[in-house]
Amino acid sequence: MRRLLSNLSLAVLLLASVCAYAVRVGDPAPDFTGTDSNDKTQTLSSYKGKYVVLEWTNRDCPYTRKHYSSGNMQSLQKEWTAKGVVWLTILSSAPGQEGYMTASEENAQIAKVHAAPTAAILDPKGTIGHEYEAKTTPHMFVIDPSGNVIYAGAIDDHPTDDVADIKISKNYVSEALTQAMAGGAVSTSYTRPYGCSVKYGE
Amino acid sequence: MVWGRDLFMRLFGTLNGFRLLVVLGLALGLRAGAADVAAGAAEFNTTPVSAPHLSVQLISARDGVHPGGSLQAGLYFKLDPGWHVYWSNAGDSGEPPRIKWALPEGLTADAMQFPVPQRLPLGPLMDYGYEGEVVFPVLLHAADSLKAGTKVEAAAKVDWLVCREVCIPGKASLTLPISVEGAGTRGKVLAQGLIQSWQQRLPQALPAGGKAGFASTPTGFRVTVLTGKKESAAQFFPFDESQIANAAAQVVTPLKDGVQIDIKRDENLKAAPATLHGLVVFPDGRAFDLTLSPGAVGGAGEGDSSGFAEILRIAGLAFLGGLILNLMPCVFPVLFIKGLALVQSSGEERSRMRAHGLVYTLGIVASFWAVVAVLLALRAGGRQFGWGFQFQSPTFVAVMAMLLFFLALSLAGQFEIGLTLTSAGGSLASRQGYSGSFFTGVLAMVVATPCTAPFMGAAIGFALAQSATVTFAIFTALALGLAAPYLLLSFNPAWTRLLPKPGVWMEVLKQATAVPIFATVIWLVWVFAQAAGVNALIGLLGGFLLLAIAGWVLGRWPLKRAASVVAALVGLLAITLPIYAADKYGSVAAAVTNASGVQGPSTWEAFTPQLVEGYRAAGKPVLVDFTASWCLSCQVNEKVVLDRDDVQKRLRDSGIALVRADWTRHDETIAQTLAGLGRSGVPTYVLYSGVAGEEPKILPEVLTTGIIFDALDGLKQAKQANLTQANPSAKE
Repeated sequence: MRRLLSNLSLAVLLLASVCAYAVRVGDPAPDFTGTDSNDKTQTLSSYKGKYVVLEWTNRDCPYTRKHYSSGNMQSLQKEWTAKGVVWLTILSSAPGQEGYMTASEENAQIAKVHAAPTAAILDPKGTIGHEYEAKTTPHMFVIDPSGNVIYAGAIDDHPTDDVADIKISKNYVSEALTQAMAGGAVSTSYTRPYGCSVKYGE
Repeated sequence: MVWGRDLFMRLFGTLNGFRLLVVLGLALGLRAGAADVAAGAAEFNTTPVSAPHLSVQLISARDGVHPGGSLQAGLYFKLDPGWHVYWSNAGDSGEPPRIKWALPEGLTADAMQFPVPQRLPLGPLMDYGYEGEVVFPVLLHAADSLKAGTKVEAAAKVDWLVCREVCIPGKASLTLPISVEGAGTRGKVLAQGLIQSWQQRLPQALPAGGKAGFASTPTGFRVTVLTGKKESAAQFFPFDESQIANAAAQVVTPLKDGVQIDIKRDENLKAAPATLHGLVVFPDGRAFDLTLSPGAVGGAGEGDSSGFAEILRIAGLAFLGGLILNLMPCVFPVLFIKGLALVQSSGEERSRMRAHGLVYTLGIVASFWAVVAVLLALRAGGRQFGWGFQFQSPTFVAVMAMLLFFLALSLAGQFEIGLTLTSAGGSLASRQGYSGSFFTGVLAMVVATPCTAPFMGAAIGFALAQSATVTFAIFTALALGLAAPYLLLSFNPAWTRLLPKPGVWMEVLKQATAVPIFATVIWLVWVFAQAAGVNALIGLLGGFLLLAIAGWVLGRWPLKRAASVVAALVGLLAITLPIYAADKYGSVAAAVTNASGVQGPSTWEAFTPQLVEGYRAAGKPVLVDFTASWCLSCQVNEKVVLDRDDVQKRLRDSGIALVRADWTRHDETIAQTLAGLGRSGVPTYVLYSGVAGEEPKILPEVLTTGIIFDALDGLKQAKQANLTQANPSAKE
């Protein structure tokens, strides 16, 4: 009985801590450590001094597909990593859920769509996802060299799955990086992310 | 003469009322067969377009429009079970459906309207949308220039996102044929009823006299809506994105003349918004579109929701409920044990007996507090749980079943453990005895949960809608009520003198006590099978076998350390077995068992808020049975009263829709509906009269055929009164 109760209260504490955590724009980004698709350990704090982009992904989500089938996401990755930005793609789908991939599957996917992130982190337990309260795929975060979150939200201002909309969209990630690198303030620092819900486990 | 006319009028009135009843009955009869109530009578002049997990079409109230007139149309989605489309603010994920009209010359369309959504929790996220079916009303206007006798076609491109665990975007090109009618002709009525039933679910402006505003709090906003009467529950839906933390629990405090909702703000909201635009929805369907400004709204009834007197009254009810709980079958096995302890201790000195009584009370109170604390913590985390939530976990049920099985083995004489050393008599070490008393208290509370005594439902429902202090106070009253009889006995030596002297017969009684406990185990096994499926049952029964082995080891080699270690290991293995089995085989089987097992006779339909709404909109009375297989009171009520042939016949004859909400497993929607009724657990029986605007009637927790028949009679009278009343105006 007592064990059960303590288990229950532990679960409650966990739940409460999950709920209490949120990433606030302007605050330091929570540090995390994950394993990427090449079995390498990725730690956010090791990239201090660089801009970091976090991109939540699920290849089967129509909204993620919009940005990959059009080549939009890949060109963003190439453009910004060429300028020294660290681009971390994160997969928080739980095993058995849409978008869950093993390391080799993810590497095959990256090769197939010619994606160019710095690394793709496998987060099947949703630890990083919960820490950042990642809600949708895509859900984007931009972190500045001092480790503060400078943008959180949607990838652009057209919450559709229509590829044709990309041309007429304002890309919030590019805007935030451009403005911050020019030493200015980020004009749009927080938006509602759009897309499919992140497929966390129970 | 005057008298004669009066009589004539009355007769006519009754006759008309009768005719209305017949028409109503016919309409209902026609509807009853259709799967979806609201759409039952609707006719369409368009065919639905099928898309993955839904069908969609444009519908209209009539098939024609006069030049210069307007036509009520709508976008109608029918969804596969579990799939949903979204409200104008979809919440944390998802997108609302969009419509782009391509209208012929002379036809214009107003903006599409969004009926009141429901909260759709998805793991840590919260979306707002619709399940089952939904109509988004649109008003079309015809210009004077349209020529009578011609036909026009309204075309629209529609796109949407439909989600369950996965999301599928869809689009369709839809058309709606409309004939332009000349003056004097009236076209055919099509989906008027269906569209109207959804128009009734559009938010309204706050009626005159009502007040609303919001204030900033350290964590978010406090929305206050004054409607002039006490509101027991409400939900807030934000029109604007990124203002509130959608998934966070909304803490509702009833006020004397309204309600107060505490909402957590979005973490990234920099400054309090100038206005908060949202929907406040009450459980009876009233929904107000409010643009809230900061500042207090009228002092009346602000602050703590209920007066001290009210809390005291409810605490009294809770105490009474706890007292009666002692007579409910759930607690019987524990009372046996307790009675046994009483007899055994009758030879002891008085202070020891009192101490035992107090420790037993402490055990009950502490365990109530522990469960309430966990419950409140879970609710603070944004989950809708109610009383008895622990039984919604198959793991908990399995552990309970095994605990009682092991206890029963011991009582039956297989082995001796400290707990059941009652036969050792007065020589029992006092410390051990106290922990035994405490544990019996805990056990009493745990086995009592599935039983609901009269008065308890209202008290618990009230308690859980209050501040934590009040909640704990009321549950303490309930706990004290449960503990009271034994406590009184232990304090009053005169009564204990009546008890027989301890002797050999006690050993026999002790072994006999194993019987009701084994019976409880049988019931728990059944509950486990309902929740986790037949396949997982193997795990539980295997666990019993291991426990029996552990018991044999303890009995065969008593007081040997090695034996205890072996028994403990085997016991541990026994406990993990069903938990593992429930985890591995649970969910798949559960859907099947739930559908066939608990639903009972097919006269009961499975609960959805839409179903009940549909019946109510159609004016049909509805009886909703909120039940769970772990709720023993529910099972007794159903077997003894509700599912009895004559009761079923009366219910059928009264034309009542029977809806059963199965709360065996955790269900957010049912929990919300219960909260809306001011309840927090099962059994709850709610009778909706079918007369618009009338408050639902909540029946007592312990049913008798008399209660049901009285309620039905009351319903009939109310309905007749309403019809005769409504009649004169209907004629005009």
